[in-house]
Amino acid sequence: MVLFALTVVLFAANGLTFINSNAQRVDIYQKRVAKSARDLSTIIVWLSRQPNPLLFIADGGERDRPTVYTLMPKGTFYADTPNQRTFKLPAVPPFDWSFIIGTLFSLYTILLSYNAISGEKEDGTLRLVLSNPIGRIKLLTAKYLAIISVMAASLLAGALVNIILIGVLAPQILTLVNMSRLVFVLVLALAYVSLFAFLGLLFSAMIPRSSLVLLALLAVWVLFAVIIPSSSAVLMEKLSSAPREIQTARMLEPTIQKEIWAKIEEIGRRAERGEFKTEEEVRAVADRAFEDGEVKLNQFYENFDRSQSQRLRAARNLSRLSPAALFQFAAESLVLSGPDGEDHFLQQVREYSRVYDAYIQKKLGKAVQTSHFGLSSEVTFNGRKIALHSPEPQEYQGDKSDFPKFAERGAALGAGLKRAVGDLAGLLVWNIILALLAFAVFLRTDVR
Amino acid sequence: MLKTIVVREILEYLKSAKFLIGLLIAIILAAAGTTLNLQDYAVRHQDYLDAKKELKSNGFEISVFREPQVLGTLARGKDRDLGAQLKMSVMNAPSRLTGHMDSGQRSGPSSSGFSAVDFSFLVRMILSLLVIFMAYNAVSEEKTSGTLKLAMSNSLPRDKLLLGKLISGLLVVLGSLAVAGLMACLLLTFNSSVSFSGADLVRVALMLAASALYLSAFFALGLFVSVTTNRPAVSLMILLQVWVFLVIIYPNLSVTAAEHLYTLPSEEAIVLQKAEVNQRFEPDIKKANAGVAKGAPTNEDRLRFNDAWSGLEAENYKIDAEFGRRQTAQMRLAEFLSSLSPAALYDQIMNRLARTDIREYERFMEGAYRLWQKHVERSRFRITDPEGFKKSSLPDFSYHSDSAAEAIISIWPQALILLLFSLIFFVLAYNGFLRKDLR
Repeated sequence: MVLFALTVVLFAANGLTFINSNAQRVDIYQKRVAKSARDLSTIIVWLSRQPNPLLFIADGGERDRPTVYTLMPKGTFYADTPNQRTFKLPAVPPFDWSFIIGTLFSLYTILLSYNAISGEKEDGTLRLVLSNPIGRIKLLTAKYLAIISVMAASLLAGALVNIILIGVLAPQILTLVNMSRLVFVLVLALAYVSLFAFLGLLFSAMIPRSSLVLLALLAVWVLFAVIIPSSSAVLMEKLSSAPREIQTARMLEPTIQKEIWAKIEEIGRRAERGEFKTEEEVRAVADRAFEDGEVKLNQFYENFDRSQSQRLRAARNLSRLSPAALFQFAAESLVLSGPDGEDHFLQQVREYSRVYDAYIQKKLGKAVQTSHFGLSSEVTFNGRKIALHSPEPQEYQGDKSDFPKFAERGAALGAGLKRAVGDLAGLLVWNIILALLAFAVFLRTDVR
Repeated sequence: MLKTIVVREILEYLKSAKFLIGLLIAIILAAAGTTLNLQDYAVRHQDYLDAKKELKSNGFEISVFREPQVLGTLARGKDRDLGAQLKMSVMNAPSRLTGHMDSGQRSGPSSSGFSAVDFSFLVRMILSLLVIFMAYNAVSEEKTSGTLKLAMSNSLPRDKLLLGKLISGLLVVLGSLAVAGLMACLLLTFNSSVSFSGADLVRVALMLAASALYLSAFFALGLFVSVTTNRPAVSLMILLQVWVFLVIIYPNLSVTAAEHLYTLPSEEAIVLQKAEVNQRFEPDIKKANAGVAKGAPTNEDRLRFNDAWSGLEAENYKIDAEFGRRQTAQMRLAEFLSSLSPAALYDQIMNRLARTDIREYERFMEGAYRLWQKHVERSRFRITDPEGFKKSSLPDFSYHSDSAAEAIISIWPQALILLLFSLIFFVLAYNGFLRKDLR
């Protein structure tokens, strides 16, 4: 009863807080898109990510993810640092389904199942039940189904409360595709809760005293729900061979020196030796040197970004040891939040960047990369000092009515399922192993 | 008589399997967690020293670096999440801490959102569960097994029995805390890359005291529930539900509530404010830029450039500072709302003592701004008196971090509430036990 009431309250709170924040996000997004539509430029554009309508299911760390990307010619883009509005607040998990189900429902399943066998053994009723012509397999199956039914009923009640709230206050979210995603997440949740039911039954059959069963189960729960996810990031930084940020940062100056200044100095020496006939020739060679250097600088930053995201991915993979993480990542894949959601958007940014460059090429004849640092120098030519600057992109002044529009595509449901398949399979494997162990142990346990 | 009860109860606890298993888990976690955090700290500290040496200022742009907090190995707080470097120049007032590669939050959101596995986490989540496991059947189990009425049939006053249970329970709890704490402290002391000052030791002692206070609150709660229920299974169920609510659900809800009750201005609003300021300064900036862009700028041109840009940046900084103040107000609301949860109070106390909370960050930023102001002054000096400028140098970056005494003053409200928790629940348990039907 308490479980039911608490579930309804939690899901209602989840629904209400989501609707509030979603409204704000959508408002901000629409304003940004309207502004981008006015600010058409061949130097810089801003691409905004559509707010995900299913964040109440799996937030995926949304508050820390960028929502706007700045795109410049020749495929240079970077994320605008998200408005770090909440970095001062205490670190708590986002209040989404993956928290409620992943952290709390698993705990409640444990509380329901821990004394299923050991409690009956202590009360003396287990041997009484088994003295009837009921097989051990049937008994354990019945206990499992009882636990699952209670949890499923609570889950459905909670989901229903959520859906009703969203349906009344923000009905545009409940499209057919989104509802299907929701149903898949519920199936996922059942698989997750089921493995904890088997775990509880297993420990209950193995350990005769209920209080010890509960202690052991709570230890496992803390390990899965909290310790593994929290330590995987720190562990990964320790184990990974990617360079630390400071090691990369100290290579920045030498890289600029090697890729840009050394070449410019060489051009200066060539100019003094009289190898160039005209000033334009000097500038043309310098421009090319700057451009090549900027490309190399780009690669330098991209390599760093890639090593960081690889490390993040490795940390995520490490935390997949915990079924709670499997559930969370599968939910994130299904609703396209989290790093998969960000990658999906970045892919579209890259595609759009090609269209953008093609447009610039058509209108201006050449796409020029924005310089990272606005570098400039001077060389002596024919006894005169001439200033050299890294080239900057030009603004097209003509008619921009055919400016390419950035239209964000949602992901297909099938793609989400495909991404979640691995994690779902992991949950099923946990289920099968724990079920087999629970049955094996119970079949041999002394019930007297 | 009291001594007999206390000794007997303590022996009961020490012989029980659940206590020994729980203690073992606590020791392992204290060792593993502290070791991991120590290694992480050592690496970050080395990064800090390397950065100070190598990513030097180039006269035009200066960088300040944030030293990782040594006590963050016990209570990580925000220490790891905030950036390590802050760049500034005359044209750029200090705004955000970033990583060394100019990136924002490179470490990315953590998978679970929970804070680290440090000593504070161990006490807040694991030891509090252990305490509940010890306290839940203190009275209710004796009632069901019938030994309570046997004990009371002797000339034993009720209050002495309950007091004995409380004292013995507290001694065992504090003993377990001491063991886990000793494990963590030994690891810290014998690590060569960590150096403590005397003030740090005082802070560690205070952190252990706060942990003791926190665990006592849970023990008193456990005792109260054990007194008021008749069956151990029921008291355990109730206590676990309460634990989940107080430690996991309520802190989360109060942060969510604070976010929604106190809304911050959007990014766009801030950008608009800054655009307005930019417009106001535009004529000055234009003139200043023109002055230095021409062939041979005079000292007056350079001074004008310095003053125009630093003036604009000072205004921008005011906008950022105002936004920062509102963020802090939102955080204070979250702290206030979560005062009902001993876990949240304990977390606040530990982070404050370890200097890994937001107040420390704010003092750092204030110090950075003061340094920026000095840098702007020196930039003028460089123009007006180049010889004198060459002889002088920019002072080292420092900021006023609070002393142990100031830390105590700022945490006493939370500590008081924790103490009240213990007292209230013990008084309730006491009264309940005096009226209890023991048959």
